[in-house]
Amino acid sequence: MATTAEGFDAHSEEHNHAHHDADHKPGFFARWFMSTNHKDIGTLYLIFAIFAGVVGGAISGAMRAELAAPGLQYLGMFVDMLGGDGSSFDQQGHMWNVLITAHGLIMVFFMVMPAMIGGFGNWFVPLMIGAPDMAFPRMNNVSFWLTAAGFFSLMFSMFVPGGVGQGAGVGWTVYAPLSTTGSVGPAVDFAIFSLHLAGAGSILGATNFITTIFNMRAPGMTLHKMPLFVWSVLVTAFLLLLALPVLAAAITMLITDRNFGTTFFDPAGGGDPVLYQHLFWFFGHPEVYIMILPGFGMISQIVATFSRKPVFGYLGMAYAMVAIGVVGFIVWAHHMYTTGLDVNTKMYFTAATMVIAVPTGIKIFSWIATMWDGSIEFKSPMVWAMGFIFLFTVGGVTGVVLANGGIDDNLHDTYYVVAHFHYVLSMGAVFSLFAGWYYWFPKMSGRWHSEFLAHVHFWLFFVGVNVVFFPMHFLGMQGMARRYPDFTAAYSYWNEVVSLGYLIVLASIGVFFVNLIYAFTAGKRAEGNYWGEGATTLEWSLSSPPPFHQFETLPVIEDHHNADDHISEKPATA
Amino acid sequence: MAGAKNHDYHILAPDIWPVVGALSALTFTTGMVMFMHNDLEMFSTSWRIVLGLGIAGLIATFYGWFAKVVKEAERGDHTPVVQLHMRYGMILFIASEVMFFVGWFWSWFDFALFPAPLEYLGDGIWQNLIGQEGAAAVLHFPPEGIDVLDPFSLPLLNTIILLCSGTTVTWAHHSLIHGDRDGLKKGLWLTIALGVLFSAIQVYEYSHADFGFGGVSYSSAFYMATGFHGFHVLVGTIFLIVCLVRTYKGHFTPRQHFGFEAAAWYWHFVDVVWLFLFISIYVWGGWGAEVH
Amino acid sequence: SAQEISEPATTVNASEVQAESVADGDVVLDGAGGFEHFGPDMIKGQPTAFEDDPMASLTFQDQYTSDGDYALWMHDAILLPVTVVISLFVLALLLWVVAKYRRKKNPVPSKTSHNTLIEVIWTVVPVIILVVIAVPSITLLARQYKSPPEDAITIKANGYQWYWGYEYLDNGGFEVISNMLDESDALDAGEPHQLAVDNRMVVPVGVPIRLQTFGADVIHSFGVPSLWFKLDAVPGRINERVLTIEEEGIYYGQCMELCGARHGYMPITIEARSLDDYNAWVQTQPGGMTREQALADEAAAAAPEADTEVAEEEDAGEAEVAEENASAAAV
Ligand code: HEA
Ligand code: HEA
Ligand code: CUA
Ligand SMILES: [Cu+2]
Repeated sequence: MATTAEGFDAHSEEHNHAHHDADHKPGFFARWFMSTNHKDIGTLYLIFAIFAGVVGGAISGAMRAELAAPGLQYLGMFVDMLGGDGSSFDQQGHMWNVLITAHGLIMVFFMVMPAMIGGFGNWFVPLMIGAPDMAFPRMNNVSFWLTAAGFFSLMFSMFVPGGVGQGAGVGWTVYAPLSTTGSVGPAVDFAIFSLHLAGAGSILGATNFITTIFNMRAPGMTLHKMPLFVWSVLVTAFLLLLALPVLAAAITMLITDRNFGTTFFDPAGGGDPVLYQHLFWFFGHPEVYIMILPGFGMISQIVATFSRKPVFGYLGMAYAMVAIGVVGFIVWAHHMYTTGLDVNTKMYFTAATMVIAVPTGIKIFSWIATMWDGSIEFKSPMVWAMGFIFLFTVGGVTGVVLANGGIDDNLHDTYYVVAHFHYVLSMGAVFSLFAGWYYWFPKMSGRWHSEFLAHVHFWLFFVGVNVVFFPMHFLGMQGMARRYPDFTAAYSYWNEVVSLGYLIVLASIGVFFVNLIYAFTAGKRAEGNYWGEGATTLEWSLSSPPPFHQFETLPVIEDHHNADDHISEKPATA
Repeated sequence: MAGAKNHDYHILAPDIWPVVGALSALTFTTGMVMFMHNDLEMFSTSWRIVLGLGIAGLIATFYGWFAKVVKEAERGDHTPVVQLHMRYGMILFIASEVMFFVGWFWSWFDFALFPAPLEYLGDGIWQNLIGQEGAAAVLHFPPEGIDVLDPFSLPLLNTIILLCSGTTVTWAHHSLIHGDRDGLKKGLWLTIALGVLFSAIQVYEYSHADFGFGGVSYSSAFYMATGFHGFHVLVGTIFLIVCLVRTYKGHFTPRQHFGFEAAAWYWHFVDVVWLFLFISIYVWGGWGAEVH
Repeated sequence: SAQEISEPATTVNASEVQAESVADGDVVLDGAGGFEHFGPDMIKGQPTAFEDDPMASLTFQDQYTSDGDYALWMHDAILLPVTVVISLFVLALLLWVVAKYRRKKNPVPSKTSHNTLIEVIWTVVPVIILVVIAVPSITLLARQYKSPPEDAITIKANGYQWYWGYEYLDNGGFEVISNMLDESDALDAGEPHQLAVDNRMVVPVGVPIRLQTFGADVIHSFGVPSLWFKLDAVPGRINERVLTIEEEGIYYGQCMELCGARHGYMPITIEARSLDDYNAWVQTQPGGMTREQALADEAAAAAPEADTEVAEEEDAGEAEVAEENASAAAV
């Protein structure tokens, strides 16, 4: 293999030096398997994320089918498919846990994160700061392949024993001792290493983004002139850099407890299962902001573009994200209110958690103020962005309900929590992904999607996810527990509604793919700045798609280019 | 726009090592799982092949990848701004390493500050008395049955060794800056020797410790925290050895020698981690316990 | 087996069963240690089906503890209005913007990107709202964490894979093992499947219960929605909270922490009885005795053993253990 590499290497280096054609692309294998180009790597991430989204979405479909009615319907079938004994009641129960674990991990680590940071971050951070590429192009590629490797490791886990049946059935949180003494067999080890691999990729990615953003901004682009999407990726990268290694330590302890006789989480040797939860959530809570901050950034770009106004309160917007990032590190135990924390600790975490509503509120209101007195065009990215603002608020305020330690005693580990986090994730994060997708798809591919289909996609998805996730609040308040394959008859009605809602979501995803096919087969060519006047960031100064190597002469940022916070012709009346 | 590159950034040609490295990492972790479950028939022999391949692949990747970086540096691709990137990259990498150790220290302090009521049954076996009579009497850390290492013998020696190595690496650095290649070599040789000595003492101490690896939270946290530190010493030593080899090859100049600086930074980081380990684990954590 | 679980509801008519087993809902106690459990007419804490009461199916279960009442009030009077109003406010602003500032209506955008006053307002108003939430929230926590009075009755809920065991530490130390009833048995008894158990956790009503939880293998969680109570059962630590149930009745709960294959199948059924009934029930259990008997027994056991000093010392030692455990659990 090394010889092949040298071969390609020599070949392209020669071209680089001799012709140095900005649009010269390497051959297929070198381009997609050996890439050092941020746009190609971004594309790889996006394709990967869409694939993972389909897998994670399909698994959630299987889950909703099972939960459509009381009793166990399909789990036996799935067990049989993985080579277990489908008639075993315990294996069916275990299968449920495997499904939710896979769904949670795939959506979090292999859909949202790769799409937001790896995909859009890679594509647009360099373009928006006027850089020719990332700081470490080769390391950029290993980040992607490590993520892919992590996905494979998770897939392996499904086909090997994991305790009662095949696969890792420990939840995406992998709590000990269920994940240690409670799950015999290699499945959980594969799942843990999956996180090691993806985590290593993300840490390397984070160093790459921070370095790029600090060192490769075009001349004249100060930090305070940087587009908000870049700000959001910068903050996200810091969260990744500081949070992921703690997870790495925690899951390494799981590995050694499982296999080498340590007792970090085993009380028999003086270990403490709750220690795992502290370590996990010290990572886990920043992680939820990792999943939403880039979305915040994209929404800022989109809202400004389609309102034809600069972002309202640019500096406040940037520092709100910094604040969310910082405070996000000191609220982790709100996931652990029922573990037996003492009352003072619960009071502290209650108060600290609620603080985050303030900077987040600043963002929500600043987006609305950006639209205020704008000249708004409701292109598809904009409707997705507006859907985001509303639905994220709904998810955010239920988060504030959960933040109250005394209230959470009843809601913890119920469907109310499931409703909360799908509003911020399956609506918040996913809406921002689709908003970003329609915003930049013609830029990336050079072809137009159908705006009509994009709107159909939006409305179906909007209705669908609300039908799916809103009734979950009712179920949760009525006491329905999470991570249950089955429920008592009283919960039937709303569960049926939820599962029917999934069909609407499914239809909308179908429209998304039809639109994709349409774009690549019949889509019109896109110009450089196809959104017109409102689109002011640097990627719009390039062709669509941009040349293989852009900005070979660095752009220079004039004063008053970006965040001109002092011009104030009409007073805001928000 | 198409045409000459008018900036100092490093645009790289396609490269096979990232995908090889990631595949090797996956092969390695898979091999590890197979090794850890080699009692299962399906893994009983195959684990050796898979794990071996994974390790070989990782070593090849590190070698091949860094060899390329060195080649590029020698070729002059590392303009000042690219060197600045590397500084940022290294600092950030070290920051992430710090957080990795935060995890291990966290577990250590959890066990030390909120000890479990462990009764020693002998033979490296403990029993948790939580909720039982006599629990209060055994509520201390380290638990009975752990004879800790005397912090002021070999650990203190190791502290001095590492501190010395910090000065020798600085000596090497100063020599390098002043174009004194001989001093650079001497400083590096000494640092490496001290690093190896540290590791040797650490191994000696591990093998003579009175407590085993697992079975109780004290030794779990002790060995994993100091063990990961030891692993970092090993990596740092290899890093320094690479620098030494590069010195003999005449790679470093007083103006461009980031490879050396990165190694030195890393070495200092490893040094600081040790100081924290020494103070909180060896000295504070073993306070009042039986000394072996 | 799976077949049993997934079988459709049997044809037993629940109301018939009720009529048979407990006439008039009266409870029959037959003197010396005799005891009869509540029938389904005493079920109080359970989820409501949409078909039975659409409005009730949307919100919390009725509460039967004073902390639960307070929490429910806090949710209904503060949190729910705040969340609904904020969400609707944001929605209204969005709709307003859509109506007023669409390109056709407002072809020339303003260039405003700053307004200090409005920014201060949308920072300060949320802070005020949060303070308004925080006050009752902290109060609720303080109430929930009042330490148990002297005469509280200690019951320890042990989570096992996959059933609960209830240890009556002040009543002779017996342990009741509680498994889920399968579907036909539950329906025969007129109880909801997946919530009903064979042996209930019988507790006294109106008396503070020092409820401890403990995980025997992995983490479980003892959760009862209608009592606003949830406490994890963690291996290696004993968690403790006070629970005072206000009304006699049956309250269903479930295991609320993922604990493996049958996590969904280890429900909790609490039967709250008058202290007299409770004492009667306790005496039907192997080794069970009233609290008074237990205390007397302890004293008697200690008395013949020469000097009382030893006994006192032991007592003190035990108290210390309990204290240590409680503080260990609190970290
Ligand atoms: C994108 C991901 C994301 C985001 C952004 C959030 C945001 C928030 N989350 Fe959420 N959360 C999750 C993902 C996320 N969460 C996940 C995945 C879980 C479950 C994990 C698991 O157990 O598996 C979880 C669980 C979870 C819990 C634990 C529940 C439990 O297990 O019992 C809590 C408790 O405090 C909580 C709180 C919050 C809060 C206060 C916010 C805040 O940041 C929200 C702030 C936003 C707003 C408040 C709306 C906008 C603000 C205004 C319009 C201003 C005015 C508002 C007020 C004055 C209130 N979350
Ligand atoms: C981002 C995270 C995310 C997303 C999008 C979803 C999406 C969905 N989830 Fe997910 N869910 C979780 C994260 C997520 N979930 C987590 C963390 C848990 C907890 C697991 C645990 O308990 O351990 C959970 C648990 C969970 C449960 C509870 C299981 C239980 O407790 O027993 C249920 C039940 O209905 C459910 C259903 C669904 C459904 C129907 C969707 C549908 O919305 C799915 C529809 C499909 C999509 C929305 C994907 C579309 C996206 C793409 C195709 C990619 C697009 C990419 C680009 C544009 C670049 N989920
Ligand atoms: Cu026991 Cu969940
Ligand atoms: Cu959180």
